[in-house]
Amino acid sequence: MSTRRVIDVSDLPHHGFDTIDPVWWGNNGLLCIETSMFMILIATYFYLRQNFLSWPPPLGQLTGPLDPLPDLLFGTTNTVVLLISLFGAVAVDIAARRNYRGVAQLGLVICLLFGVGAIILRAYEFPAVKFRWDANAYGSIVWFMLGMHLAHLLTLTLETFLLTIWCFVRDFDMKHRLDITALTIYWYWVVGIWLLLYSIIYWMPRLS
Amino acid sequence: MPDQKEHGTAKLVEAELSESSLERDRKQLEKTWAHAHGILGWFMEVDHKVIGLRYIKTAFVFFLLGGIEAALMRIQLARPENHFVNPDTYNQLFTVHGTTMMFLFAVPMMTAMGIYFVPIMVGTRQVAFPRLNAYGYLVYLIGGLLLYTGFITNTGPDAGWFAYVPLSGPAYGVGKRVDIWAQMITFTEISGLVGAIVVIATTFKMRAPGMTLSRIPLFVWAQLVTSFMIIFAMPAVMLASGFLASDRLIDTHIFNPAEGGDAILYQHMFWFFGHPEVYIIFIPALGFISPIIVTFARRAIFGYTALVLSLVATGFIGFGLWVHHMFATPLPQLSQSFFTAASMMIAIPSGVQIFCWIATLWGSKLQLRTPLIFVLGFFFIFILGGLTGVMLASVPLDLQIHDTFFVVAHLHYVLIGGSVFPLFGAFHYWFPKWTGRMLSERLGQLNFWLMFVGFNLVFFPMHQLGLQGMPRRVYTYVPQTGWGNLNLIASIGAFILASGVLVFLINVFWARRAGVVAGNNPWGADTLEWSTSSPPPVYVWEYLPTVQGRYALWMQDEKTPVVVGLSTIKREILSTSVVDAIPELRFEVPGASIWPAAVAVATAVAFVIGIFTPWAFAVAAVLAFAALAGWFWSNADYENVNAHNPTEAFMKPTGQTKELQPKEA
Repeated sequence: MSTRRVIDVSDLPHHGFDTIDPVWWGNNGLLCIETSMFMILIATYFYLRQNFLSWPPPLGQLTGPLDPLPDLLFGTTNTVVLLISLFGAVAVDIAARRNYRGVAQLGLVICLLFGVGAIILRAYEFPAVKFRWDANAYGSIVWFMLGMHLAHLLTLTLETFLLTIWCFVRDFDMKHRLDITALTIYWYWVVGIWLLLYSIIYWMPRLS
Repeated sequence: MPDQKEHGTAKLVEAELSESSLERDRKQLEKTWAHAHGILGWFMEVDHKVIGLRYIKTAFVFFLLGGIEAALMRIQLARPENHFVNPDTYNQLFTVHGTTMMFLFAVPMMTAMGIYFVPIMVGTRQVAFPRLNAYGYLVYLIGGLLLYTGFITNTGPDAGWFAYVPLSGPAYGVGKRVDIWAQMITFTEISGLVGAIVVIATTFKMRAPGMTLSRIPLFVWAQLVTSFMIIFAMPAVMLASGFLASDRLIDTHIFNPAEGGDAILYQHMFWFFGHPEVYIIFIPALGFISPIIVTFARRAIFGYTALVLSLVATGFIGFGLWVHHMFATPLPQLSQSFFTAASMMIAIPSGVQIFCWIATLWGSKLQLRTPLIFVLGFFFIFILGGLTGVMLASVPLDLQIHDTFFVVAHLHYVLIGGSVFPLFGAFHYWFPKWTGRMLSERLGQLNFWLMFVGFNLVFFPMHQLGLQGMPRRVYTYVPQTGWGNLNLIASIGAFILASGVLVFLINVFWARRAGVVAGNNPWGADTLEWSTSSPPPVYVWEYLPTVQGRYALWMQDEKTPVVVGLSTIKREILSTSVVDAIPELRFEVPGASIWPAAVAVATAVAFVIGIFTPWAFAVAAVLAFAALAGWFWSNADYENVNAHNPTEAFMKPTGQTKELQPKEA
């Protein structure tokens, strides 16, 4: 039997919100990676633009529309949908922190619906580009931008789906409340990246 | 329910720890942290020590394969107009050699060292995300197998390790060779990125109490800086190889000038990754050098802060150099001047580090053991490589010797000198920790001298060959060029170098059976990994350590507290604050699981079958979702099963405890 100094940590909690929890660092680290990915994607867009006299290039077809600019309708609608979805995400975020299970459930369902809506609208955005991915470099890069963002919309919606089920059928425990706050960070990020992509894809060619 | 508790603090107390409770805790910990068994268990294992060693062994096998390819090339070039291999095989050889060494050996090896040692050096039992970590290894393994499956079926990539378009594009790169290269990139980069996240979270959140940011071992700093570089650099090459694959498979035109695409864009994207990549390989090696020097000079490092700042500065400047790989392309002169300046500037932080190490060594009682000898070899070779680097940063000279053997000489001097020599030093240094036995000192020194002499014989003549105009990547040359003699010397050197590696293998096999038993700390080193037994038990320490200063073990005394109060029946580790390492959470990490392997399979479906049809991605998305859903629910279970267990066992002191005031600490 010997006496020595010890640090007794048995009173410490298992989880904490934000920077306290390792999960926050993992989640945000992955988002940093994806942010680098999109920044390079956007740089590619502007790099390729230097090769074109007009951007988008002329449609070069005898029938059909003459204006090569991407149609605003679906892209703009999608932007509005995603912006509104932020209310759901913020509500879920706050509810998770304050342990309001009902609000979180409702908010998650709303987010889920908006996520599905955004994915459906995205399907209409691709034809609105007026160029296929294999038409020219302009078509390729815009399809890539829309497609990579779509991949995130899908991931986000499926993750929301899993957490929604969890909140209805299992405990609203600290671990999953923390997961929900990580999900909402992802949600803000997906919407934020989209605002950037939307302004570049739809408005940059119109304003320059 | 303990799970719902949100607040609570750690207390410094004086306590009695009995031998019997220690014995009981030890047994329980062994059970809780036990490895998975069986063939399925191999795919489920999450222990970072197991994963780390698997990574190291796999990367070393790829190093040997890459070395064999290099030897075959040297046989071919040993004399003019040789017909040992045909031009097509030669193209595959140099491409697979470069790809293997960069993507399957160097980066994964450095990641692996971090995965094994970062958690132990910061004083914890496991990485922050063990299952993610296990996934990273499996994805890497699949990528490596993909490349070699292609190679042995005569479908090895043949467009160089950086696969420039248009040679690698759909018009010239016929067949599936380049596609295999492009998707192999995806696998290895996923694993690198995953490893970076794991290292960052572990370093920031899992450190022992007392290990503030200014007390982190330099090895860990190096791994941290590297991880951040990975996060910002690797997405560029994933995107570039993704564009390349889609240009080839579904006719996009990103790199096709005929439809507004751009071939130079590919070079920008590749080197925006490729140059930082050099530092991603080199900086962890700097992290091996510092502890080796501290240990064998037996004194504190000179200029800790300067060394850390140099690492960080290298990390930043490393992103401003990529265009110096492209001086032979039509770029504006202003940008060439900028990149010349940046390329010269990066010599400054490297120089600062070298002077700090020399200052540490100067006047100390040096113990010239094998690890230190490898570090001294590093100084010699790396400085030569650095000097030719400054030469190559100058545009007129670069234009003259672009794509000649001068460049081949330079890159091998910096990469083998800057990375492989420190790595072999690190193998000799940490081998006792992995196996519990010492490598032979005599064989180690023989190993060093064979490698050192062999290396210089291979690569020094290449400078001259380059200046004489011998281009790289030619499968043969005519006798009239006069390049025969120097090439023959280089080829002889290659076999001396290879024999050095062979001596290392012999040493390893000998030491595993008959090496001197090492004990916990054979070198009398200062970092935390030396305070546990060799090899470390599954739970690493009975009680997690705390740290009093930069040199954890050298500054330890009987007043240094240990951590108690973690559960013994759950895989609990201590999570501390980012800057000051104040205990914050008892964080539970997950145990063995099959789901990471399932997600790895889904990833493989996407990128292996995706070589042939884009529909693979749709199928893989469904598989990946199913696997991730399984991962999510199983993650939930490990914690909840335990949370409802009423008999939670803690490592608790017995008898009287007395609370101490913080100032007594």
